[in-house]
Amino acid sequence: MDFAYQYAWLVAVLPLSAAFIIGTGLITFNKSTNKLRKPISILSVSAIGAAMIIAFGILWSQIQGHEPYLWTFEWASAGDFHLSMGIVIDQLTALMLVIVTTVSFLVQIYTDGYMAHDPSYPRFYAYLSLFSFSMLGLVVSPNIVQIYIFWELVGMCSYLLIGFWYDRKGAADACQKAFVVNRVGDFGLLLGILGLYWATGSFEFEQIGIQLNTLVESGAISSFLAGFLAILVFLGPAAKSAQFPLHVWLPDAMEGPTPISALIHAATMVAAGVFLVARMFPVFEHLPFVMNAIAWTGAFTAFLGATIAITQNDIKKGLAYSTISQLGYMVMAMGVGAYSAGIFHLMTHAYFKAMMFLGSGSVIHGMEEVVGHNPFVAQDMRVMGGLRKYMPITSVTFLIGTLAISGVPPFAGFWSKDEILASAFTANPALWFVGWLTAGLTAFYMFRMYFSTFEGEFKGTNAALIAQVKAENTPPGIVVEDHGHHAHKPHESPLSMTFPLMALAIPSILIGLVGTPFANYFEAFIHAPGEVVKAVSGFEMLHGEEMTEFLIMGGSSVGIGLVGISLAILMYLQGKISAKAIAKSIQPLYQFSKNKWYIDELYEATFVKGSRRLARQVLEVDSKVVDGAVNLAGFVTLLTGESLKYFENGKTQFYALVIFIGVLGLVIASSV
Amino acid sequence: MLDLQNFPWLTFVILFPVAMSLLIPFVPDQGDGKTIRWYALVVGLINFTAIVYAFCTGYDFAKPDLQLVESYTWVPQLGLNWSVGADGLSMPLILLTGFISTLAILASWPVTLKPRLFYFLMLAMYGGQIGVFAVQDMLLFFFMWELELIPVYLLLSIWGGKKRLYAATKFILYTAGGSLFILIAALAMAFYGDNVTFDMRSLAIKDYPLTFQLFAYGGFLIAYGVKLPIFPLHTWLPDAHGEATAPVHMLLAGILLKMGGYAILRMNAGMLPDAHAYFAPILVILGIVNIIYAALTSFAQRSLKRKIAYSSISHMGFVLIGIGSFTDLGTSGAILQMISHGLIGASLFFLVGATYDRTHTLILDEMGGIGQKMPKIFAMFTACSLASLALPGMSGFVAEVMVFVGFATSDAYSNTFKLVTVILAAVGVILTPIYLLSMLREIFYGAENKELTSHEELVDAEPREVFIIACLLIPIIGIGLYPKLITQVYDATAQSLVVTLRNSVPRLAKEANPTLGFNSLELKSAPRITVLE
Repeated sequence: MDFAYQYAWLVAVLPLSAAFIIGTGLITFNKSTNKLRKPISILSVSAIGAAMIIAFGILWSQIQGHEPYLWTFEWASAGDFHLSMGIVIDQLTALMLVIVTTVSFLVQIYTDGYMAHDPSYPRFYAYLSLFSFSMLGLVVSPNIVQIYIFWELVGMCSYLLIGFWYDRKGAADACQKAFVVNRVGDFGLLLGILGLYWATGSFEFEQIGIQLNTLVESGAISSFLAGFLAILVFLGPAAKSAQFPLHVWLPDAMEGPTPISALIHAATMVAAGVFLVARMFPVFEHLPFVMNAIAWTGAFTAFLGATIAITQNDIKKGLAYSTISQLGYMVMAMGVGAYSAGIFHLMTHAYFKAMMFLGSGSVIHGMEEVVGHNPFVAQDMRVMGGLRKYMPITSVTFLIGTLAISGVPPFAGFWSKDEILASAFTANPALWFVGWLTAGLTAFYMFRMYFSTFEGEFKGTNAALIAQVKAENTPPGIVVEDHGHHAHKPHESPLSMTFPLMALAIPSILIGLVGTPFANYFEAFIHAPGEVVKAVSGFEMLHGEEMTEFLIMGGSSVGIGLVGISLAILMYLQGKISAKAIAKSIQPLYQFSKNKWYIDELYEATFVKGSRRLARQVLEVDSKVVDGAVNLAGFVTLLTGESLKYFENGKTQFYALVIFIGVLGLVIASSV
Repeated sequence: MLDLQNFPWLTFVILFPVAMSLLIPFVPDQGDGKTIRWYALVVGLINFTAIVYAFCTGYDFAKPDLQLVESYTWVPQLGLNWSVGADGLSMPLILLTGFISTLAILASWPVTLKPRLFYFLMLAMYGGQIGVFAVQDMLLFFFMWELELIPVYLLLSIWGGKKRLYAATKFILYTAGGSLFILIAALAMAFYGDNVTFDMRSLAIKDYPLTFQLFAYGGFLIAYGVKLPIFPLHTWLPDAHGEATAPVHMLLAGILLKMGGYAILRMNAGMLPDAHAYFAPILVILGIVNIIYAALTSFAQRSLKRKIAYSSISHMGFVLIGIGSFTDLGTSGAILQMISHGLIGASLFFLVGATYDRTHTLILDEMGGIGQKMPKIFAMFTACSLASLALPGMSGFVAEVMVFVGFATSDAYSNTFKLVTVILAAVGVILTPIYLLSMLREIFYGAENKELTSHEELVDAEPREVFIIACLLIPIIGIGLYPKLITQVYDATAQSLVVTLRNSVPRLAKEANPTLGFNSLELKSAPRITVLE
C-alpha cells in the first residue's frame, strides 16, 4: 500500500484542481461555464471520489500497522529560521481523511439534487471543492503553522458558503459574524503559536509538548505561563468548534445552503477544533488546569446547546444547537484525557449529524413545494408534521439519526457517548453529571424534533398558521417574495438526495460497533501519542468490575435517554401533556432558552455597539484633533505672514488676506 | 553591436520612460487619447521587460552588496554623481514599480481628460519612482524624491475628485515640509568629517557621534514618516487617496508609500544604526498605533476610498514593527509587507475605482446589493479584501506572520514589552476583517439597492479589468504559497543589515543570530515519525 502514500498529496490536490478549473471558468467565460452544469458536478464529484479511494487505501494501510509517513519541504526561511510544510499521515490523519472525503463525496452528490434550481450551481461546486481541499490540507498538516494556514482557509470557505445567497440580509450578516468570531479565536491561536514558538523553538506538536514539559519541570518557565499559552491556543478550537463563549456564530451559519450545514457546520470543519486539541494533546496533557478548563468548557457548552435546542422551532437551528452540544461532549472528552473517546464521538457524530442535516434539507426541499421558497416558513417545524407518509426514506433515516444521537444502543452514538461519560466519571463525577443530564435533554429535544416533523397531522396547508409563523419569524424590514409551486402535499426528494441519506444511515447504525467496550478496535487504532493500549484479540466478555461499571454507566445513560424519549412521546406524539402549558408555567425559563440565553443580545450591546462607538470616536479625533491641528497650523502661518504684510503694504494685501481667510475657512469647513 | 553585459540597465530604465514621455507631444492622435495610451503602454512594457532582463541576467541573489552599479560624475563642482545600483532592498521595489506602473497605465484606459498631459506625467513618474529606489547618491536621491512630487501634485489636482485642490495642496505641503528635513540631515551627514561626499555607501561607513545620529535620524524619520505614513503625520493620505483617480491611486498606494519604508531601512537603519538602537522601540510603538488607530478609523469611515486609505496606514504599521525587531525574520517580514501591500493596495484601489466608475458614488450608505449585477467585480473585490486581511495562501499573511514571529523571538526587548506589543498588534488581526468584511457587506450583499440601480447602469467587469486583477493576484498568491520566491531576492541584504543593526547594540553584538527564549536547552529530535522510502 506504499502506493497510496506516493499519491497522498493527490487527496488534497484533486479537489483543489476541480475548484481551480471551475473557478477559472466562472471568472473568464461566465456564461458558458454556467451552462455546463452536469460536467461541473461530475468533475467535482469524481475529484472527491478519487480522493476518497486514496483515503480508504491509506486508512487500510494504517490499520495494517504501517509506519507513519512524513514528507516535507522548506517553505520559508530567513537567516536561521526555517519553516517546513508538508504531509504527515498517521492513524488520526488517516481516519480524518476518510471522514472528510466520504461526507464530502456524499454531500456533493446530494448537492446536485438540492441546488438543482439554483442559478449559482457551478459556483457552489467550486466552493465545495475548495472547502474539501482546505479541510484535507488541515488534517495532513505536520506542524501548527500549516494547521493555522488551512484553519483560516476553511474559515474563508465557510464565510463564502454562509454568504452564498448574498442577496439575503441574514446570510450577509451571518457570514461576517462567523468570520469575525472565528478571528477572535484565531487571535488567541496565533498568540499561542507565537508564544509556544518563543518558549520551545518549535512548531511541531510533539516537540512543543516535550520541550514545554522540560521547561516547566526545570522551572525555566512557570506552569502558569505555559498554561496561559495553552489556553490561548485553545481559543482557536473554541471558536472553530463553537464552544461557549464563542459559539454564537454557528446557529447563524445555518443561513447557508443546507448541504453546507451538513458538511461544514456539522461533520467536518467544526470538528477541526477537536482535531486540533487532539494534535496539541502532547502540550495540553501535562497541564492539569488547562485540561480542566477544556473539560468544563466542553461540559458547559454541551449543556448550553441542549437547553437552547429544546425550544427552537427552526429545524436547522435546532440541529445547530444540537451540534454545539455534541461538540461540547467531544471537547469534554479531550479535557478529561479521553483522547480516543473524543475522536470516536467525532467520527460517529460526523456521520449521523451529516445525515440528519441532509435529512432536514430534504424536508425543507419538500416543504418549499408547499409553502414556497421562504426560509422563514419552510424551515419552521410548526408547519410540518406527518411528513413520514410523504417522505418515507427521509423519515426513516432521520429516525436512525435521532436514535443514534439519543444514545440508544446499538446505534453509533451510544457507544461513543457512553465511553465519554465513563471517562468523565473517572475524572470528575460532576462532569459526568452534566454530561448525563445533557444526554437526557438530547433525547428529549431530538425526539421532539422527529415527532413534530414526521408524525401527526401535516399542517403545511393551514394558511392561518403559516401566516402566523411567517409574521413571527420574519425580521422587521425584510420582504420575502413567495414564489414556489404551491403543491398540496410534499413529495419525497429525488434519488440524488435520498441516496446520500441511505448511505450515511449505514455508518450511523453500525460504526459504533468498532469501539464497543467488548472489543475496542477503535481505541487500539487511535489513542493519545505515548499512551499504551492493549491490543484487541477479538470479542471478549468484560469481567467482574468492568462489566458492572459498563452496565451502570450504559444503563444510566440509556435510562435518562429513555426518560427524555418518553416525555417527548407524551408531549409531541400523543399530546397527553401540553407543551404550551408547561412553557407558560415556566415562562421565564422558556423565554431564556428560546432567546438563547440572551447571549447574542449581550454581545450586540457590548462588543458590537462598543466597537462601533470606539471607531466613531477615533474618527472624530482623527478629523478634528489630528487633522485639525494640521489645518490650524497652516492657517496660523498664513495669517501671521499675511497680517505682517498688511501692516507694511496696506490695502491690496488686506483684500488678499480676506480671500485667503475665506478660502481657508471653506477648506476647513468642507474638510471637517 | 549592443553590449548587453555592460549595458547601463538601471540608467536606461530610469531615463527611458522620461525620454519617451517627452515625445508624447509628437505622437499623432485623434484627440481621444487612444493612440497615446497604447504608446504609453508599450513604453511601460518595454521598460518593465528591461527591468526583468536586468534582474535575470545581472543580479545575483547571494550577494548582499550593490549590483548593477553605474557611476558617472555629473556636476563635479557640487560633488554630484549619477550613481545608481541595486541591492536586496532596491531590487524587489524596482521590480514592483515596473509592474505596478505598467498596470496603472493599463488601468488608465477610461481617462479621457487631457490624455497627452496625463500619460506624460504617468511616464515621468514611472522613471522617477525607479530613480528613487535605484540611486545611490544622497543628493540625487533628494532630487528624485522632490521630482516625484510634481507629477503627483498635477495628477491629483487635475484628475482628482471634488476636493482635489485641497488634497493636492495638502499633499505637497506635507511632503515638501518633510523633504526639508531630508535635505538638512543629508547635508549635515555629507559635510561631517574630513571628506565631503554624497555617496550613500561612503555616508554609511562614516563614524558619526551619537547625538548627531539621533538628530539626523529624527529628521529622516519625520520626512519618511510623512510618506509611509506614520501617525500623526498621516492626514494627507486619506485626502490624497480620497481624491485621486484609480491609476494614480494604484501608484500612491502601490509605490509611493513604499518609498518611506525603503528610505527608513536604507538611511535610518542602514546609515545611522547607533541611533536606531534608541529609536527602534519608538518605531515599534508607532507601528502599533498605526495598526490599531487606523483600523478603527477605517471601520468608522463611510467613504470607500478613505476606508481603504486608512487600511493602508494600518498595514504599514507592520513594516515599522518589523524594522524595529532586530531580527532577520522581522526585517524580512517588513520588506515583504511593503511588497505585498504594494500589490494588494494597488488591486484594492483599482477595484474601488472600477466600482466607482459604475456606481458614481463612494458613500457606502448609497450602495448595497450590487453583487447580483456585478458578480465578477464582487468576486475580485472579495479575493483582494481577503488578501488584505492576511488570509493564508496570500502574501499579506506571510509578511505579517514573519513580522510576528520575528518580533516575538527578538532578543532586543524585554518579554513584557514583546508580550504587550504582540497582543496589541494581534488586535489588528481582529479589527481588519471587521472593517473589510463590513465594507464588502455594505457594497455587495443584501437586497438590490433600487435607488442606485434606477439611475446607474451596473455592468460587470470587462476583460481588461479582469486581466489587471489577475496580474496582481498571481504574485499575491504566488508569494503566499511559496514566500521564498521573493524573500530569496533580498535575504542576503536583509541579513547583512540586521548584522549592522545588532552590532550597534553591544548586548546583541555578541550573539551572531537572534536567539529563542530558552535556547540553552537542547532541542530533542522528533521521535515517532519517520520518513518513508
